[in-house]
Amino acid sequence: MKNNPSKLAFTLVTVFTAVAIILFSFRKSENLKELSYLFYSYPPVPGNYVSKDSLELEKLLKNTERRITTSLRRLENLLPYGPYLIINTTQNKFVLRTRKGIIREGICSTGSYILLDAGDGKQWMFKTPKGMFPILGKIVDPIWNKPDWAFVEESLPIPPRNHPDRLEYGTLGEYALTLGDGYLIHGTLYQRFLGLPVTHGCVRLGDDDLEMVFKNLNVGSRVYIF
Amino acid sequence: MFLSKIKGSITTKGVVLFVSIQLVAIIVAFTLFGIIPVGSEVKKITTEFGLEGVRGNKLPAEKAVLLERVRDREHYESVLNSALSLSKTDSISLLIDLNDSLAILSLKGVSLFQSKISEIEFNRGLKKLPVYLRDSLYSGPFPVKKELASIEKFPIVIKKAPKDTTEASADDAAPILPIQNDVFVLFFLDNNLVIEINQQEHDLAGSKKAYKDFKANYSRFFRDHNFALIKDKNAPSYLYRLKISIPREEARSIYRALPIKPYVLVRY
Repeated sequence: MKNNPSKLAFTLVTVFTAVAIILFSFRKSENLKELSYLFYSYPPVPGNYVSKDSLELEKLLKNTERRITTSLRRLENLLPYGPYLIINTTQNKFVLRTRKGIIREGICSTGSYILLDAGDGKQWMFKTPKGMFPILGKIVDPIWNKPDWAFVEESLPIPPRNHPDRLEYGTLGEYALTLGDGYLIHGTLYQRFLGLPVTHGCVRLGDDDLEMVFKNLNVGSRVYIF
Repeated sequence: MFLSKIKGSITTKGVVLFVSIQLVAIIVAFTLFGIIPVGSEVKKITTEFGLEGVRGNKLPAEKAVLLERVRDREHYESVLNSALSLSKTDSISLLIDLNDSLAILSLKGVSLFQSKISEIEFNRGLKKLPVYLRDSLYSGPFPVKKELASIEKFPIVIKKAPKDTTEASADDAAPILPIQNDVFVLFFLDNNLVIEINQQEHDLAGSKKAYKDFKANYSRFFRDHNFALIKDKNAPSYLYRLKISIPREEARSIYRALPIKPYVLVRY
């Protein structure tokens, strides 16, 4: 170093580079840890089993296999005995099946996730509930008892409860299965929207699929919605 | 001006000094951010599982195979027991079966949806963890402590009620559909395991902003973890990472089906 100013400049550059290296390394800590694992290892056998001889291990294995069989049986018993329906609300698909296999699969329509804002704090969220639901009822030629939001969506005045203007015939198809809280599995006039999330929370099926589902599921049959 | 001052002072001694200092910086950084956290994790596990005296024990090949089998079945049993305990809850849970390369959604013991995993990746810490130790880390079920995703859990679209019947009939013509972004999900489990569920498609179909936002949050997650390590001695020193790739739409179904802070079960 020739003189003080250049010495200072050299020191600054050196310190700055070193700090930059440390900061960069901090940012890349995950990679450094990966690299560091090259220098470490664990013993290949579990400590508590080393002392056991082969006979003891065989016995241990047999007992474990027996418990596995029991657990598998318990898990199998959780499956419904009769046909059940699975609905995928993201892909808008359904599967009607039994323990043994698929009876029918296809497309459906589920909740649109639209939040309808009518102002004055009145809001409705159109989503299909998720979980396991037993079928509570089966209806042939269902009549739609239009809720308030149906009138708000059409910008029509909301009639009083039980007013005949609320009843609509033929909109829900030939069959409906009730899931509770006003949610139904039903048919639709809008067949072209099947496979899309367009409903107000109910599950819409195509005519043939609906008939198949209606005939196979009974009151109490399970519907799994995810 | 500044550079010219340095240029004038470059000597062999200066270069050697400069390089030496930078080498020291690299070694210090590697020790601080690599060796020390990994060493402490290895030490923690060795102590926790009583492995100190085990090293060096050599087993006959036949016994080693038998041991491996015992551990494999014990792990399977623990996965089944976890599945049984999850079946008692009302929530949908996720089982990642690395043995059969499947990601399975289940509710009350019923398998609702299966997706074939096309790619599985472990980080080195997880890869080095022997089978008998993975059990405690993997099987669970473990609740998700933190999650990041490139898509919303609920794709809500806000719609104002139409003002008149003309506006209402215009709304009827075309349904409003949610935006479909690319799917990248990170679950940080209670047991220090980070599970990444990525779409297998390399091309981006959704908005680049959503992807960039996710990547920024993803980097922040690991950066925050490293900062926590400096501030808190008890913070986990090493994150085990498991990455799986599945088709985009299936990954979307899985993420949206799961509740907030779901339970995840892994079978190796």
